[in-house]
Amino acid sequence: MTSKSATSSVYDWVDERLGLSELAAFARHKTVPAHAQSFWYYWGGISLFLFLVQCFTGVLLLVYYRPGAEAYESVRQITFVMHFGWLIRSAHAWSANLFIFAILVHMFSVYFMKAYRKPREFGWLSGMALLGIASVFGFSGYLLPMDELSYFATKVGLQIPAAVPFIGPAIASMLRGGPEVGEFTVQRFFALHVVVLPAIFLPLLGFHLWLVQRHGNAAPPSVEALPPAERKSIPFMPNFLRKDLAMWLISLNILALLASVFPWALGAQADSLVPAPAGIHPEWYFMSPFEMLKLLGNVLPGEVGEIAGLLLFTLGIALWILIPFYDIRKDSGQRARAAHYFGLIAVFALLATTVIGYWTIR
Amino acid sequence: MNYPFWDIPILGSGWVIGIIAIFHVMISQFAVGGGLYLPMAERKAQRMSDPELRAEWLKQLVSHSKFFLILTGVFGTVSGVGIWFAIGLTQPEATSTLIHNFVFGWAMEWVFFLVELATAAVYYYTWNRIDPKLHLKVGWVYAGASAATLIIINGILAFMLTPGGTWLAVAGTGHEASKFWNAFFNPTYWPSLLLRVGVCTSLAGVWALITSSQIDGDKHPALKSSLVKWSVRWLVPSFVATPFLMIWYLWMVPTSQRALLTLGIDTIGSGTFSIITRIALIIIVTSATIVGVAYYLAYRNPVEFNLSHAVAVLLLALMATGAGEYSREMLRKPYVIGNWMFSNGVRVPYVSRINEQGYLAHSAWTWNADGAPTTSYSRGEAIFRGECGSCHTLNGYRPLAHLLAGRDATNIGNFVTMLHEYKADSPYRRFMPPMVGTKQDVADLTNFLNAQVNPPKPGVNQAALRAAK
Repeated sequence: MTSKSATSSVYDWVDERLGLSELAAFARHKTVPAHAQSFWYYWGGISLFLFLVQCFTGVLLLVYYRPGAEAYESVRQITFVMHFGWLIRSAHAWSANLFIFAILVHMFSVYFMKAYRKPREFGWLSGMALLGIASVFGFSGYLLPMDELSYFATKVGLQIPAAVPFIGPAIASMLRGGPEVGEFTVQRFFALHVVVLPAIFLPLLGFHLWLVQRHGNAAPPSVEALPPAERKSIPFMPNFLRKDLAMWLISLNILALLASVFPWALGAQADSLVPAPAGIHPEWYFMSPFEMLKLLGNVLPGEVGEIAGLLLFTLGIALWILIPFYDIRKDSGQRARAAHYFGLIAVFALLATTVIGYWTIR
Repeated sequence: MNYPFWDIPILGSGWVIGIIAIFHVMISQFAVGGGLYLPMAERKAQRMSDPELRAEWLKQLVSHSKFFLILTGVFGTVSGVGIWFAIGLTQPEATSTLIHNFVFGWAMEWVFFLVELATAAVYYYTWNRIDPKLHLKVGWVYAGASAATLIIINGILAFMLTPGGTWLAVAGTGHEASKFWNAFFNPTYWPSLLLRVGVCTSLAGVWALITSSQIDGDKHPALKSSLVKWSVRWLVPSFVATPFLMIWYLWMVPTSQRALLTLGIDTIGSGTFSIITRIALIIIVTSATIVGVAYYLAYRNPVEFNLSHAVAVLLLALMATGAGEYSREMLRKPYVIGNWMFSNGVRVPYVSRINEQGYLAHSAWTWNADGAPTTSYSRGEAIFRGECGSCHTLNGYRPLAHLLAGRDATNIGNFVTMLHEYKADSPYRRFMPPMVGTKQDVADLTNFLNAQVNPPKPGVNQAALRAAK
């Protein structure tokens, strides 16, 4: 038996049981719209790639990380003793930030291409949920090294859930595992970070990807308005996939460059008795909500301001999440334009409050 | 220390050379590789049987040679002269040594360089105006002249890393130039030359991808396909040979310096010189990516290969080149000329003399004839500029105010003393020169550094200065 026929008989054996031919036929027929905005199609794939990097480096860190009282010491060993431990940790931290950045770009491109419209509502909703979980991933992961910065940033960050009326303090206390941030908090955040969140994230991600396969890539309204003969598309296999993988490679290079030239630092061990160092601020992706609440607090001081801020914030997020249900018409009517301006205002508000936040760090 | 210091705050003097030199290398190595690419492509086109494809190829080569002429003739030339200014100002002592040894080498290089510039212009402006055979000959003259510049400058660059025992035996006697050829064909000459040739041909292919990616694949599929594929082939020699050449090259570097590459494997601690390992990693990642992208996106699918792909390959290639040059420079530590001159310009055999007579006694330009500085602080500042300034700044690149933060005066004093004693087991000995000078020099430098790290509080300023006197 030649090696070729051996390979094909193995393929036939597997195909009979798993239906690989159907998948291959599906992939052969799948196409991706080609137009001037095609560049934005790659950001979902880039997000996925960075998530895979997170999983890979996360598992490697898991081998040496020890939650609880030894958390700081174990991260110190990873960074300053283990061979290439610093590289894995830097790649994990940098890819986490790039991951959230890529998801944000992906979200806004979907928003402005109006790719949330029928039949893609579930794609939008599951994407928003994935972004929400990703930010909790970021928040919980930030504390794990238990250095000075992560300790105080977590302490400040937990003030947000604590500000929720009635149930807030109880939630904050449950997350902390006591009245203060300490080794029990690390243990809880660790469980959240490596078990609870992945358990929710992975099936949701599968659902999201399945929807993308089911409905395909949405073309922006300007392209959809064209007569079918003028709409161009390229085959997914191998043309789009090849470009997608090239983007993954470019992302990998950017990640390698950042992780090598700017390795993720480790500050002094957290000490609750030492006063907070100057300039404590949340991670960049939390800067905007943090600053918005702060600005509102200046306008409406006291508890009223806190509650008003949270309400306004919740309302804004709800409007954003529910966009597929009130911007539904295919033609570019008044609602579609309103949704477009709402998106522009959201981008501007996010950028402006982030800049103000960094500008006013003390 | 026969020359004045050029103090560059924040950036540091090393980066003045670094930025200009890395920019220059990216272009000049293209000038050499591209110099070979153009006549070879022209010859290939002239031999084509399909007259239509031949005409398209030649038309494309005219536009490529215009791009080539502007990039190398303007930016390459200006940055090359810039290196001279930069090294003369920031490393005058080492530049002086090089000139004393290699003045005729440089003279030869400049002759070839003039030939290179002249033929590049003639080559571009005589397309379709002179006999094609003669035009091709002009191209070959250009290729030869530009290769000769590399062959010569490589000897001088490799000399700085590994001057070789024969030259070192006569160094300081005034007869150094008598060992010109030994210094020139030093231990890393051949692996370095072959490595650079590989980089040159790769860059020729990469830059050619930039111009050929812009050909409209729908209108000229045969031209685009053949030119893109042929350009990718220029990357093959270096990717096959580089791993072996790199091993050969590193094998010729003294063990102690080779070990610098491993410093960053297990740490990122500040002051551990771990950056060299990290930058070397970038070379590996970017090179591997170029292989993948060049093969799958360009060679396998030449017609769809577009400008953004080509720019991505170019940026990766420039990153690899920049990282390679940076690593090579860092590999010289703690010397600027291996085993002869430390990176701050102090000659190795002068250390004991300076330790007896004091650092400033050998710094001709530190003060004018009116007299030496009177305060410990200003003496310390002069010593800082001379001994630390080639690698460190106070608050910018490799900032001493940050690296020494958290230490008090005694602690800083102990640190400077450790650098002064330069014991065999000192970890800093692997990448830093000794702190040379008398006990008083050690105290003066300590005072200066301490005033930067722990500035006197307002109100006691004057008292602190008086105490320092």
